[in-house]
Amino acid sequence: MKTYLLFESSSGYGLFNAEGIDEIGQNTEAVRNSVSDLNRFGQVVKLTAFQPFESALDALNQCNAVSEGIMTDELRNFLELSFQNSKAKEFIVGVADSKLGASISEGTNISCRSNEFMLELLRGVRLHFEHYIKNLKPGDLEKSQLGLGHSYSRAKVKFNVNRVDSMVI
Amino acid sequence: RGGGMKGGSKVIVEQHRHKGVFIAKGKEDALVTKNMVPGDSVYNEKRISVPQEDGTKVEYRVWNPFRSKLAAAILGGVDNIWIQPGAKVLYLGAASGTTVSHVSDLVGPEGVVYAVEFSHRSGRDLVNMAKKRTNVIPIIEDARHPAKYRMLVGMVDVIFSDVAQPDQARILALNATYFLKAGGHFVISIKANCIDSTSPAEAVFAAEVKKLQQEQFKPMEQVTLEPFERDHACVVGAYRVPKKQKNAEK
Repeated sequence: MKTYLLFESSSGYGLFNAEGIDEIGQNTEAVRNSVSDLNRFGQVVKLTAFQPFESALDALNQCNAVSEGIMTDELRNFLELSFQNSKAKEFIVGVADSKLGASISEGTNISCRSNEFMLELLRGVRLHFEHYIKNLKPGDLEKSQLGLGHSYSRAKVKFNVNRVDSMVI
Repeated sequence: RGGGMKGGSKVIVEQHRHKGVFIAKGKEDALVTKNMVPGDSVYNEKRISVPQEDGTKVEYRVWNPFRSKLAAAILGGVDNIWIQPGAKVLYLGAASGTTVSHVSDLVGPEGVVYAVEFSHRSGRDLVNMAKKRTNVIPIIEDARHPAKYRMLVGMVDVIFSDVAQPDQARILALNATYFLKAGGHFVISIKANCIDSTSPAEAVFAAEVKKLQQEQFKPMEQVTLEPFERDHACVVGAYRVPKKQKNAEK
């Protein structure tokens, strides 16, 4: 069974292939240690595909959807395109959020998993993300986070014209 | 009035023990940070312009320990705040962004501050403050659900938490599993009343430290925020510290 990882960044969707990692028999401690080291982690987890967002507006739409655990058409296309040539019949995709995993499984035939183990691997992807994407210069990711953070937050604040807090709970 | 820190050339600014923090020595000493946006005050705090030898001026902003728990912790003598120039910081409970603006000064242009605040009322001020400070990334979202803002945050060196919630240890731990580097650090402000108003403050702090220890945190020091805040403590420590025996085996 092959394991893939879906990583949602501020600049686009990334799909990674975790080779030779078997959930059973891997103790979390060993994974934790190998995650920090790019040499070791890079041998195990490899970039399969990356799809940058088309525009700032597109990024905001994707971010809002990911935040709510909804699969957008763009994400579905990205996943289906990435897997259409794949020979492996049996594979799982590790996602950070089980809600998004459920939406993906419903909308496609891809089975998703989100657990502590996947989160640990995704920590590694987050740590080394800039090294995987060749087109990203140092600081580029922060710039896209800055732009997206502002548009995401501005939209949230805008809903409350009267500056009244809406409390959850 | 009008004297105070505006003593002009009489004010000397010295480097504090913590990198990025300064002390202005005038009539009274004051904690200050180097203003990233000269000429601009965030919450009407005083600014001090210091002429340099080469004729240029450097501007500092006075950091009020009665309005900032981080400043109170520094004056309380905390050994290390880990927030330093170039650091990436996740700030939970950013409120209107008053302390965040000083953290932004502190980490400087090479650093990043991810400022998370859930309240829309304060969030609006936060977003406006961040417009002028490009190293601050505002995130209006619930710190209880880091998955919701996972697209906006990278791996960070330090998490500063001031959420004043009964489950704040869990909130910190959740965010750390997503975003805090192994060997990174945390700074958490604990208000005893917010967690348990019936127990003595010291007992509440001890219980919180125990909770942190169960979540792969290694608390290293604890300072009280008296006289600036009552029944508050600030706990500083490390996350996922590698075990020493393991290193020896390699």
